[in-house]
Amino acid sequence: MASRLALRPLLRAAKPQFQATQVHRCFTSTTRRAESPSQSTNHERTTHFGFETVAEAEKEARVAGVFSNVAASYDTMNDFMSLGIHRLWKDHFVRSINPGSSSTIPSSGWTMLDIAGGTGDIAFRLLDHCTDINNSPQSTITISDINPSMLAEGKKRSLQTSYANSPRINWLVANAEHLDTVESNSVDLYTVAFGIRNFTNKEKALREAYRVLKPGGVFACLEFSGVTNPLFDAVYKRWSFGAIPLIGQLVAGDRASYQYLVESIEKFPKQEEFRDMIKDAGFVVPGKGWEDLTGGIAAIHKGIKPVEKA
Amino acid sequence: MVARTLLSRIRPLAARARLFSRTYHSYDHPPPPGPFSSTESSILSASLPHIPSHGFTLTSLSLGAKDAGYIDASTNLFPQGPFALVRYHLMTQRLGLAEKTDSLETAEGAKPMGTGAKVKKLTWERLMGNKEVVHRWQEALALMAQPSNVPTSLKELAALSDEIWFLSGDTSVDTSWYTKRASLSTIYAATELFMTTDKSPDYADTREFLDRRFRDVQIVGGAMGSVGQWVGFTASAGLNVLRSKGVRI
Repeated sequence: MASRLALRPLLRAAKPQFQATQVHRCFTSTTRRAESPSQSTNHERTTHFGFETVAEAEKEARVAGVFSNVAASYDTMNDFMSLGIHRLWKDHFVRSINPGSSSTIPSSGWTMLDIAGGTGDIAFRLLDHCTDINNSPQSTITISDINPSMLAEGKKRSLQTSYANSPRINWLVANAEHLDTVESNSVDLYTVAFGIRNFTNKEKALREAYRVLKPGGVFACLEFSGVTNPLFDAVYKRWSFGAIPLIGQLVAGDRASYQYLVESIEKFPKQEEFRDMIKDAGFVVPGKGWEDLTGGIAAIHKGIKPVEKA
Repeated sequence: MVARTLLSRIRPLAARARLFSRTYHSYDHPPPPGPFSSTESSILSASLPHIPSHGFTLTSLSLGAKDAGYIDASTNLFPQGPFALVRYHLMTQRLGLAEKTDSLETAEGAKPMGTGAKVKKLTWERLMGNKEVVHRWQEALALMAQPSNVPTSLKELAALSDEIWFLSGDTSVDTSWYTKRASLSTIYAATELFMTTDKSPDYADTREFLDRRFRDVQIVGGAMGSVGQWVGFTASAGLNVLRSKGVRI
């Protein structure tokens, strides 16, 4: 009996699909699930929040809660969880886009929009690449996030970079599903890194991306995806369901948010499915449509808005 | 003709199930769609005129994208970057050879061209397809030699020599199917490299170089044939001697 009790957390972690049931947790007193008022009626449209099913109206608020909680410890946590690899992914993501590249000298400059870019991670890299590699100091970026506390964190960080109070950066608090302040056909590059997973209505966000992009503009998305090698997948699942919530509790003092994180990764559509969603929004995808990173833990998806034939 | 059609049906023996290509020719089925979508093709074909001045580079690709109504960012459509240009050039030149087969027809009453002569003629036509970009061709060769691009480059070279032999009317189904294509591939690759440094008018030196390579292959092929014949004869003679001595084999 004692051994079965000791084994239980292991068994649970190995079978993440059973997570949603009420089970005893060793390291947490989270009672989020128990008290969650997510008993949605049949009339309401629902979506998923991790492994839970919640009303669409509710997801936004709960995601906001998660990110308000983690904003300050965001980078430390990312380093712990991905063993630092997330920096390599982000560098590769930006390099593969090659922002600011131009056939004319001087470069005409790209207009970029970084969605869910609160802490500025991707945005500063994009600007660095434009300036240092492609000699395009004219390129500008709008950093948009639905969450003001993530954006405040980014503003604070921008003061440490050469873009402190720079006119090249705009800050915008907006929902990616309603980018009303962004004109149609005005953006060269739309990026969203580790953000689209949390959107309530991904299709709507993709259509909105299609609207704001110039014809020929690029939609680029860096997001967690499905590991292709089953052996590596087993190891990865152990790590994500076993270690990450624990690290979250120890480092950030917040298990629930990181439990949500790993569950939302599990729920997010896998490579092919997400590629088809991008196509359905009207984009043309290059090659097979995505590039796997570290065996598929993350993937870069791209789409080009086609030019309408006159 | 019927025989050739039949033979071309048998050839998928070596074919692997790939989405965008097949390793045989068919008269009954339309060719499979190429590796490039229509959007990609429109940008790439618009980029080709920029290659002589800007080379096989991202700049040519960007300029082509602009000509096709796209923007600089649209070059993200090509994850392999400038190699897409190289590949597109190789592919269009290879497929363009089919239209040049008219030059293989001889006048009424004259002796028709042999397969060997047709192969030489088509190989030369293909080399002349590089004329416009030959001063930039070393860039393309460098891109093709990058490890990640090598499989595609080799496949394209194999497809080219197969195309040339096919258009010349080769219908062999024995091991010479392989040796013919292998030897033509080496000849083509060597001559193409020679051509990048050729400054003679109308590429006369390249022409001579190509003729010498074909002659070499004939000599080597003839020698190999003779050696084979000798080995075969000696072996069967030896066997007969042993049998005459009462060895039961």
